[in-house]
Amino acid sequence: MTIQSPHSKDLSQTNHWLLEGMKRYRRDLGAHIFIYAVAIFIILASLSLTIFLITKGVQLFTHDGVSLFTMIFGSVWDLHDGKYGALPLIAGSFAVTVLAALFATPLSIGTALFMGEIANKRGRKWMQPVIEMLVGIPSVVYGFIGLTVIVPFIREHIGGIGFGLLASLIVVGVMIAPTIISITVDGLLGVDQSLREGSYALGATRWQMISRVVIPAASPAILSAILLGMARAFGEALAVQMVIGNTAVFPKSLVYPAATLTTTITSSLGETVEGSTANHSLWALGLILLAMSYVFILVIRWIGRKRNA
Amino acid sequence: MLTLEKPKASVTPIKKINPVFQVKDLNIYYGDTLAVKDVSVQFPERAITALIGPSGCGKSTFLRTFNRMNDLIPEARATGEVIYQEWNILDPRLDVVALRKEIGMLFQKPNPFPKSIYENVVHGLKCAGVKKKAVLDEAVEISLKQADLWDETRDRLTKSALSLSGGQQQRLCLARALALKPKVLLLDEPTSALDPISTAKIEELLLELMKEMTIIIVTHNMQQAARIADYTAFFFQGRLEEYGATAALFEAPKVERTKQYLSGQFG
Repeated sequence: MTIQSPHSKDLSQTNHWLLEGMKRYRRDLGAHIFIYAVAIFIILASLSLTIFLITKGVQLFTHDGVSLFTMIFGSVWDLHDGKYGALPLIAGSFAVTVLAALFATPLSIGTALFMGEIANKRGRKWMQPVIEMLVGIPSVVYGFIGLTVIVPFIREHIGGIGFGLLASLIVVGVMIAPTIISITVDGLLGVDQSLREGSYALGATRWQMISRVVIPAASPAILSAILLGMARAFGEALAVQMVIGNTAVFPKSLVYPAATLTTTITSSLGETVEGSTANHSLWALGLILLAMSYVFILVIRWIGRKRNA
Repeated sequence: MLTLEKPKASVTPIKKINPVFQVKDLNIYYGDTLAVKDVSVQFPERAITALIGPSGCGKSTFLRTFNRMNDLIPEARATGEVIYQEWNILDPRLDVVALRKEIGMLFQKPNPFPKSIYENVVHGLKCAGVKKKAVLDEAVEISLKQADLWDETRDRLTKSALSLSGGQQQRLCLARALALKPKVLLLDEPTSALDPISTAKIEELLLELMKEMTIIIVTHNMQQAARIADYTAFFFQGRLEEYGATAALFEAPKVERTKQYLSGQFG
């Protein structure tokens, strides 16, 4: 671009300092392209994953002629017998998720209140790595501890054969607690100090201040924390598989075996032949899992939007 | 400017009026820093007293001793005496929860709770154990009327307090404090975040409330002190430099530093 003017010189003819900006712009352009490329890659990856799961999952309905209704509401799941009723598995997944959340939530919120409201800065500094360490422990270790400690304990002291929802909810509850704790602590720290002062100035005790002002103010964060924990619980396969007993029946008791969507996929995948109806049915289970995790994400985002409003 | 000897403070005694607070040799430390130095003063009942002075002069710290809000700062420590109804407020055995029910406070930035307007007003009462709905309803109406907010909010008491404007929010915070029927109201620059119209409204309300309670207000705005305060105390670098009737202090300050501050030579 050249600008013709009787009063100014043509910049492009010289090595003028005003042209330095163009060089900077060219250097920036490389970084720009890189950042856009990785962002597009991530979007494409999740998009193609979804499409892949859908095309694989729907084959059970399109290719094998199993109806979606019998899949979701059928109550018998037996791959050898050609029964693809996933309701016991769906019920198992929801039972583990809800029970683990019920177990982990009071524990986590109590810990988070200690870290965010009661403990001083030094106390919080000590607690933080402990919580992070709990996140870092691989799920197979949790499952192993569940299998060798919790399952025998339940069998001897509570009843049943030990494998089942009770063992699962304890193992998964402990696994998701750190997630709930750390997001709740962030939410508590985000509550404006002036609200605490305002409550104290009206003659509130510390507990009244926490229960009537801080917790309500942080409630959207606490709710997203619980939902994120539940999303983790819903998707957890390995640790649950080790302690739930893997029997595809309706969970009627806490201390007898059951199964979830994830444990059924992991335990049966090796037994099925690629392209068979049984194999397709496992893909369909995966599709249900994916749909559920999308629901979790949407709900969490919806709560987040309400918080900002 | 700096002198080694302690500058003489000019504290004009206020006669014939019952003092609400009798402050004796009050020192407040933040860690090793002395924020308020050797303050001795008496504040009269049913009057507005303004605390003025440049930023960091200790006037807010001083104000926050009267309801022990400095307790929230772990490294803050106070020596001396602040006598309120024959009790030393600084006594660690004193029940701060009961104290704060009698001594209300309004802050610099409106800080309504993210709850309904109604819930904001009844917060203090509920914390005090009041449960009867009729009592709470009545308190909400009376305190919102006192804060001149009733007409604007009577139809939307269940709406979030955050839906109110800044000036309305500050009046809600006032109503919230008034619901406990306090004997003293402490205000820490209550209008510094408000527009002139909202400020005028708050000042008007304070002049009305003064008939029933003692008001102590920290303000950056000297005109505000001149407009509403019966008495004014001037703080500088943690010391109380001058204290007396507002008109006298503004027209004929006795201390050189006060004169300089009022004429805008520093601030």
